[in-house]
Amino acid sequence: MLGTLEMGPIIRSLTRNKTGAVLIALQIAVTMAIVLNAVFIIGERNDLIARVSGVDEANSFQISSTGFASDFNHMQTLEQDLLDIRAIPGVVAVTTINAIPTSGSGWSMSLQTESGENKTDVGTAVYMVDQNGIEALSVELIAGSNFSENEIRYRDGNQEGWPQNIIITKALANDMFPELDYAEVVGKTVYINYTEPMQIIGIIDQLQAPWIGWNKLENAMLSPEHIASGDFSRYFVRTEPGMRDDIMLQVEELLAKRANERLVEGLRSFEEVRERSYSRHEAMIQILFVVMITLVSITGKGIVGLASFNVNRRRKQIGTRRALGASKAQIIRYFMVENFLITTFGIVLGMAMTMGLNMTLVSVFELGRMNLMYLPLGAICFWLLGQLAVFGPAIKAASTPPALATRTV
Amino acid sequence: MLKMKNISKVFRTEVVETHALREFNLHVQEGDFVSVTGPSGSGKTTFLNIAGLLETYSSGRYLLDGKDVSNLNDTARSKLRNEKIGFIFQSFNLIPDLNLFDNVDVPLRYRGFNKTERKERIEHSLALVGLSNRMKHLPAQLSGGQQQRVAIARALAGEPRFLLADEPTGNLDSKMAFSVMELLQEINSKGTTIVMVTHDPELAQQAKRNIYVRDGKVSELTDNSGSSEYQEVVNG
Amino acid sequence: MFSYYIKLAMLSIKRNPVLSALMVFAIALGIGACMTTITVNYLMSNNPIKSKSDVLFHVQLDNWSPFNAARDPDQPPLQLTWVDANNLQKAGKAFRQAAMARSGGVIQPENPDVKPFQDSFRLTYTDFFTMFNVPFIYGSGWDKQADENAEFVTVLSRRINDEVFGGENSVGKTITIVGQTFRVVGVIDEWHPVPKFFDLNNDDFGEPSALFMPLSLKLPLELPSWGNTNCWKSPEGEGFVAFMNSECVHLQYWVELKDASERDSYLDFVNSYVNEQKELGRFPRPLNNKMSNVQEWLEYNEVVADDAKMMMWLSLMFLLVCLLNTIGLMLSKFMGKSSEIGLRRAVGATKRDLFYQHLVETACIGLAGGLLGLVMSYFGLQGIRLLYGEFADRLTSLDGNMVLLAITISVFATVIAGVYPTWRASSIAPAGQLKSQ
Repeated sequence: MLGTLEMGPIIRSLTRNKTGAVLIALQIAVTMAIVLNAVFIIGERNDLIARVSGVDEANSFQISSTGFASDFNHMQTLEQDLLDIRAIPGVVAVTTINAIPTSGSGWSMSLQTESGENKTDVGTAVYMVDQNGIEALSVELIAGSNFSENEIRYRDGNQEGWPQNIIITKALANDMFPELDYAEVVGKTVYINYTEPMQIIGIIDQLQAPWIGWNKLENAMLSPEHIASGDFSRYFVRTEPGMRDDIMLQVEELLAKRANERLVEGLRSFEEVRERSYSRHEAMIQILFVVMITLVSITGKGIVGLASFNVNRRRKQIGTRRALGASKAQIIRYFMVENFLITTFGIVLGMAMTMGLNMTLVSVFELGRMNLMYLPLGAICFWLLGQLAVFGPAIKAASTPPALATRTV
Repeated sequence: MLKMKNISKVFRTEVVETHALREFNLHVQEGDFVSVTGPSGSGKTTFLNIAGLLETYSSGRYLLDGKDVSNLNDTARSKLRNEKIGFIFQSFNLIPDLNLFDNVDVPLRYRGFNKTERKERIEHSLALVGLSNRMKHLPAQLSGGQQQRVAIARALAGEPRFLLADEPTGNLDSKMAFSVMELLQEINSKGTTIVMVTHDPELAQQAKRNIYVRDGKVSELTDNSGSSEYQEVVNG
Repeated sequence: MFSYYIKLAMLSIKRNPVLSALMVFAIALGIGACMTTITVNYLMSNNPIKSKSDVLFHVQLDNWSPFNAARDPDQPPLQLTWVDANNLQKAGKAFRQAAMARSGGVIQPENPDVKPFQDSFRLTYTDFFTMFNVPFIYGSGWDKQADENAEFVTVLSRRINDEVFGGENSVGKTITIVGQTFRVVGVIDEWHPVPKFFDLNNDDFGEPSALFMPLSLKLPLELPSWGNTNCWKSPEGEGFVAFMNSECVHLQYWVELKDASERDSYLDFVNSYVNEQKELGRFPRPLNNKMSNVQEWLEYNEVVADDAKMMMWLSLMFLLVCLLNTIGLMLSKFMGKSSEIGLRRAVGATKRDLFYQHLVETACIGLAGGLLGLVMSYFGLQGIRLLYGEFADRLTSLDGNMVLLAITISVFATVIAGVYPTWRASSIAPAGQLKSQ
């Protein structure tokens, strides 16, 4: 049966007509290098996007208020706003907050487990929230306790240092006290600004920092404070499922009642905030998809084009083969086998180029190293692509009438 | 060996109907060497194509080696061509990218012989045409006569019972043509039936029998050897 | 002869419309992809003030912690403290100098029809406008007294002048900013240096600012920082003044020198300033101050996004595939014409004639591919703009240089791609093809 595959004669025939085959193989190789690396990059970006922020993403939003009237009373406004928003039916919880997880801007500090300068420290995002912060952010307190209402202070720039109690994420607890179980971290003292002690009173399961590209993304701490400088406050609201959009409008309307004294801005659902941050990754994914599809179709078209040309060039030969007893299936098989050989050559070259490109990307752009499993999977895909592309011309070849052999053209 | 009865072939386009063959009758015996002559457009090539199972016919009956080939599908016809028929073409039809060995190998591959058998047959048939020492050459490196010898070797390698030659010397000068004819006669003498289409009456003389085709019909039969069966054939 | 070749090329293209279209399309796709990414990279790596690139310097002082550097490896922070920026400014050792910071707040137009809104300010010194060749429509920058006396004067961007004053000459009019009445002294024309080289701390390709006002107003008005603030130790004491006197960095400082050769002497001045400060107990790290001209500063900040670079590499490989594709198709096409070529050779065409004939055909296809590629890169850039939003607004415009580059690349690439097939076509033997094969 192997005899009819005609591997030997096909290879010998190909080596006498190298150019076309080499061009196709090179196209396949470069296409494979680009496509596999693109797939890999898409995978990495998708992994980034798939990370969860820890908040109730579908049912949360933010809005901010900036007073500008000269007699604007910030503290009073803030307290009244919180009461009013909380009173809206469908609002689960509301807190003031200085920054929104994954939004791109926020505040970071370093914490250390020992007091003094030049000690090892751990970076963390700081979220200033009130006693409803945990509920509004929809994070779970897995050890210790929440802030009490009376320990929430106003940070207007005139206080000494930091609040006494903080709540931190499990990831931050593990980062600072790797040898302890997170529950044992409750009650520990950590130091901010080298020497200021703070006590950890609670651990929450998960909450991401504002910077999605930060390598300590899961390190966050909650500090019991309302920001009170610059007459600016930002509210973070969590609603009952499905009621977010309605409540967003209601809250905006509510705050805008005093539009002559303040600006109401930044009304954005959490999903939108998150999307904005990840939009560059999303864009990259989409561009890479377009690149892949175009490239594969160009290469496919190239295979079809060259195969059709070869079929036309070899019409007489095909007719002769048919006259000499080749069945249609055998003619089709000839072109499929020929393509398989060319593609295989391209794939072998392509594997080397794929790894080469990946290594370059790794060293220049700090990309991850590609899993070797991509290579055999890619090879299968390109074999299929080749076979699919050559099938049409092969069918056309098989329909060459055997009587062509006796025609003197 | 070959028996055609009332074979007709009609080519139809939207405007014209061309009768390439009408009521064509012919009987070729085992071991015969028949030449087919006739003017251009007389239906010689159509006859050859039908005889070689390269084309189908519109009506009539065709028995090849006692087997009715009318209702065979494409694959079965291919198999029959491969096993029973050897072809020799005017322009040799060698595959330019393949060396002589691989060229002769082509029909044997389709036959499904194993490697050893193929090698034996290729070497044997190339020896028969006197080209054993050129196996690795490409067709372009040979003269026309040598190329036609390779084509004959290819036709013989599968040991067909029936050889169809289409103007086998048409592209050759007279000296080369003579040697090719000698080869064909030698093959015929070993028992292979040959049907040869030619427009050259001198060449036709060298076959055992000659038929003259005109307007898609056999119009004349000449016996060069003294056999007496032809009349019967014509009358059907 | 040339027009004859053009005619032959057209005939040949018409005879194989599908194959020709495929070739033009492949080139166009490759060129389109390349031009899109090259344009983005070109604009990202643009030097927006070439004429002064060598005489404008950004200054960095290393006031960081004794235990670790502000940036690896052992680099000073990107910005300056309030104290240092103002000290250098007041010393006035350069031809021009401007400390600056980004801030923002509520703007209340006098016109009751225009609602109050919040926008960003650039706090700086008046040298900013002359240093950076900022174009004015009305008025000019404020005078030096306004800097010294922290006067309530402002220069508006064209956008704000359009929004608040309907685009008319607003010089001399007043506008309420963060609750204070400001006098407009100037309105600048459209001015969007790409990248926004003088402040690369955020939004590298964004708008410079809605309006400008003296930096000396920051302290009395307690204007917030809208840029990045980095501290290695917390302010000593509480409140705004303590913060302003802290080691936190949040300002940029640029100088213009008369000549690039003055660079060393200015750096000497900066170093001697830092040494003075060391005696006061500041600057615990070894002397490590830095001056960068515009080009160096852009490179130091790695303004070109990694994704953009990566896309450019990939698109160049993409073009390679398209060219391989074209070579294959071109070869098919020319080989398909071998009998015609054989005939031409037989009637006396030289190899050179045939080479030119096919080169002309190749170049025609290249030109068509390049033009279509330009159209495609236009759509490619629109696509980028759609995907990336505001960020890409100023990074997606094709200029004359790019158009020229696109056409050059495409013709060049296609001719390169066409040389091999052309050579093959022209070396077809005159006799061989006349015989039937």
